[in-house]
Amino acid sequence: MTRYTADQVDAIKEIVNMGVGRGAKVLNSMLGAHVQLQVPALKILSLDEFSEEMQVFRQEQLSCISLPFQGSTTGVAELVFPRSTASGLVDALVQEESDYADMDSIRAATLTEVGNIVLNAVMGTISNILKFRLRYSIPQYANTEASVILPLGAKLRNMTVLFAQTHFLAQELEVEGNILLFLEVASFDELLTVLDQPATA
Amino acid sequence: MTILIIEDSSFTRRKLASLLRNHGFEVREASNGREGLDRIREQAPDCIFLDLLMPEMDGIAVLQTLSQEGFSIPVFVLSADVQETSRAKCLELGAVAFLEKPPHEETLLKAIHGLGMCQVEGGS
Repeated sequence: MTRYTADQVDAIKEIVNMGVGRGAKVLNSMLGAHVQLQVPALKILSLDEFSEEMQVFRQEQLSCISLPFQGSTTGVAELVFPRSTASGLVDALVQEESDYADMDSIRAATLTEVGNIVLNAVMGTISNILKFRLRYSIPQYANTEASVILPLGAKLRNMTVLFAQTHFLAQELEVEGNILLFLEVASFDELLTVLDQPATA
Repeated sequence: MTILIIEDSSFTRRKLASLLRNHGFEVREASNGREGLDRIREQAPDCIFLDLLMPEMDGIAVLQTLSQEGFSIPVFVLSADVQETSRAKCLELGAVAFLEKPPHEETLLKAIHGLGMCQVEGGS
């Protein structure tokens, strides 16, 4: 973190916070339940360091929706749920359709769209604040283990990543998860350039 | 009144179609832009709900094609993309409104009624 000033990190954290806040708002709207957010943890990590961070999710089976993006900045946003939580979320959203035979595809379609909406809210808010323009790829859904989360998201090998993690909890529904953002470091430097520009009216 | 939903997410498509049918609309569905254009060329709907990010052909390309082919069907873009630049682009390409996901019943019905062409049951 030595390359970046405390003010720069604080500014990024606040912008990510606003994005995640909007994501929580849409999740609240979809679930009809209050979504509690933690302040985002922001780290700038090499891939090796990132692997260490992923030990938080050790051995856990996860449902992961990733939204890759390019444009003013390049990276991946991911919405990650423990599998058990993901099932609760799907049940809350498609309860009237529980007679559908193909629950696996219902589950995949539901989680993909939830991820799409929440992650677009997060990234769109950040993009609007920074006056960026992002082009998204089709969101991808996977059931996986923590160790393969990053390769799922994008071709970020040999890159330093801005890793932002926010834990959220919808207590009434026992739904919890994490929003993860990865930006390649060249993009991150661009972002800092924007942040360092004087504010305009 | 016939509404065409062009949306790749089966989750959103089902929810939206069910909501609109409950209000008396005739609903047709397409799962990407190319399929949507085929439906429109077969029989033009009275209005369209159009997603942006889709495989095969995205919503922007659909708006461009509709304009090139001379269609003047009201199009509501319904997207998770909340970027101001995306909104501006869609409106520039002729969309009558840009609505954010998740779709809210009241917002959708207000938008449709705003077209002044519907005969529906139970609309608010």
